[in-house]
Amino acid sequence: MNEVMSVIFASDNESKLNELTIHRTTASLPFCGRYRLIDFTLSNLVNSGITDIGIVTRSNYSSLMDHIRMGRDWDLNRKNSGISIFPPFVLNASREMYKGKIEALYSIQGFINHNSAPYVLLSNSNVAMNVDFEKVFEKHLEKNADITMLTYKAVTTTSRRVVVESDENDKVTDIYLSEKPSADEKQVGLNIYLIKKDFLMELVEYHYARGFYDFEKDILTAMKDKINIYVYPVDGYVAIIDDVKSYYYESLKLLDSDPRNKLFYGDGVIYTKVKDSIPTVYRKHSSVKNSLIADGCIIDGVVENSILFRGVRVEQGAVIKNSIIMENGVVGMNSKVSYTITDKDVTIRENKEISGYESYPVVIVKGKTV
Amino acid sequence: MISRNNKECVAMLLAGGQGTRLGVLTSKVAKPAVPFGGKYRIIDFPLSNCINSQIDTIGVLTQYQPFELNQYIGNGQPWDLDRLNGGVYVLPPYVKGKSGEWYKGTANAIYQNIMFIDRFNPEYVLVLSGDHIYKMDYSEMLSAHKKNNADCTIAVFNVPIEEASRFGIMNTDANNKIEEFEEKPKNPKSTKASMGIYIFTWSVLKKYLIEDEANPDSENDFGKNIIPNMLSDGKSLYAYTFKGYWKDVGTVSSLWEANMDLLDENSGINIGGNESSKIYARNAAEPPHYISNSAMVSSSIISEGAVVHGEVKDSIISHSAKIGQGARVFNSVILPGAEIKNGADVFYSIVGENATIGAGAKIGEMLKGPVNGEWSIALVGPNAVVADGSVVKAGQMISEKE
Repeated sequence: MNEVMSVIFASDNESKLNELTIHRTTASLPFCGRYRLIDFTLSNLVNSGITDIGIVTRSNYSSLMDHIRMGRDWDLNRKNSGISIFPPFVLNASREMYKGKIEALYSIQGFINHNSAPYVLLSNSNVAMNVDFEKVFEKHLEKNADITMLTYKAVTTTSRRVVVESDENDKVTDIYLSEKPSADEKQVGLNIYLIKKDFLMELVEYHYARGFYDFEKDILTAMKDKINIYVYPVDGYVAIIDDVKSYYYESLKLLDSDPRNKLFYGDGVIYTKVKDSIPTVYRKHSSVKNSLIADGCIIDGVVENSILFRGVRVEQGAVIKNSIIMENGVVGMNSKVSYTITDKDVTIRENKEISGYESYPVVIVKGKTV
Repeated sequence: MISRNNKECVAMLLAGGQGTRLGVLTSKVAKPAVPFGGKYRIIDFPLSNCINSQIDTIGVLTQYQPFELNQYIGNGQPWDLDRLNGGVYVLPPYVKGKSGEWYKGTANAIYQNIMFIDRFNPEYVLVLSGDHIYKMDYSEMLSAHKKNNADCTIAVFNVPIEEASRFGIMNTDANNKIEEFEEKPKNPKSTKASMGIYIFTWSVLKKYLIEDEANPDSENDFGKNIIPNMLSDGKSLYAYTFKGYWKDVGTVSSLWEANMDLLDENSGINIGGNESSKIYARNAAEPPHYISNSAMVSSSIISEGAVVHGEVKDSIISHSAKIGQGARVFNSVILPGAEIKNGADVFYSIVGENATIGAGAKIGEMLKGPVNGEWSIALVGPNAVVADGSVVKAGQMISEKE
């Protein structure tokens, strides 16, 4: 699809992911054993034939650069397209961090205008799903929409979700930010928008000049009656990761085969950085139930209802339950870990006990030894 | 510094063998493309060894069932062999002028590619075969070759004396200079078995290849012709003793054994390692593997994309394989994409890529040990479908059509 280019925002709502994004952007948050969140968006784009991609970062982007490198693992090391990463300030003469998407887009307008694609797909990087953007594009043309926004059905348990109401024709009738958690299932925006480039840049210039910066609030909500906004509902497994609770909940949901098959065996393959780990070794005392295990682990203990990332070591007598152990984690002999998320390179020494709660899992920061 | 386009050492990997002793595993693919160890193929070992030994120019000589191997190698990127100058080249036989012929033997395969090698103007040529599992730093062997000022250096592996009569044996002096080469000697005088890995000084080898080609009685084989000719001419040939894990996986039994060695911490195979000794492979882009509530897994290796609901013990489960509920997989190697349906028993077997074992089927039998050095491994070929409830005996082989 040469008609569409994409701009990905690598940072969003980071404050609520607390310890998990001290060292990284939301985009490079490790997810489901061997992925980073941005892998899903990048793979969806590549699988839909969109290969002109700009990634706008705000802070802590070195882990993202290290993950993406030249984009080869997504087949994005092309001559005439591929990935461009924009560190903060790079095109911003004012030397101030951009406050929202409008400012970010304004600061990279050269990149956007220089590209020959007439349409732009804007996306946050905190979404895990498997979607074909070609179908979104077809619908956008068919509806003659100004903006097509992707939505899914969800309970708005966490705040600042964009709630969308639409008519039987999928035309948006109302957009508002949910500040209060609610138990009702609503149509929620995924912060992914398809829009004609000229129109987008017109909106960006107009609003930037008047000091607006929030795309959702200042453009979508404010202009919903003046322009044609349509929804593209996504079904299947869709996860928005914007706080520790949703990270934990959406990760462990993938232990069920149905959402897992929808995410990984849906429209396209999900790619990630290749690390050439050896397959996982199960030793004599291993006992694993209902768990997802990436390559490179050595397991000689008990693992239940958990996700182990690449290169995790579970020593004899160790018990891991309802937990997420990120890359190169070590759980020492006879230690017990439950309702816990350990970030990369965390070592739990022998005979330790760590436990959080289902509603409030403990997070152990990258590189720590307990 | 090496001048433009010139390479000090070019590797030539002999990957043309049919590997008939691997039965249905090589009915559709060349031996080096046979899967190994859950996520690898045999050829990943020599390719990774090359790049880990700073050899970045490799010719892969293929002629038997080359498509899968060609596709697997691609541009060489998984092994970091996509280079501006050098890299990995697949070299099938081709028509030259009016004539054109298949590779007649190992030496002829190199002879037919003299022009390829000459393009890099190397001082040395490393000749490798594509049917061994081992990790080796060829640069150490090259240093020994240079230090000895040798014309040819042959890597050797110490085998037990009682097994020596199955190998090509090098008899050397105290300085490792080869005095005599005996192919499968009845009464071996040494335990130094040739590993089929040679480093030649290119100018010397080239001369011998041309002479050998001119001899209509020659079998055009390194072991049978080139090496004996060099020895009888008094050339300087040295043995280089390799200490580490090395296994010829030319038979179903030995391929199974090498896989089982991965499960044995003391076997010395250690395919992991740091950045300079990793084995690389083309990635399958699969999610982590899933072990269900009904599964029991111990003493095994499992790779990405696999889904296990049954019992797995002392086995290798390759990527994307599926083990159904109540199925038992013991002492077996399940190759990529194979499916073992509910309640099936798979004992001491190799189940080929994308094969299906029907519900309740019995594949192989529990074995006590090898007979005359050979394990009676049941083998289900790639894409074969074994019907529900059927029985495949120990040592039996099932192909796609049956």
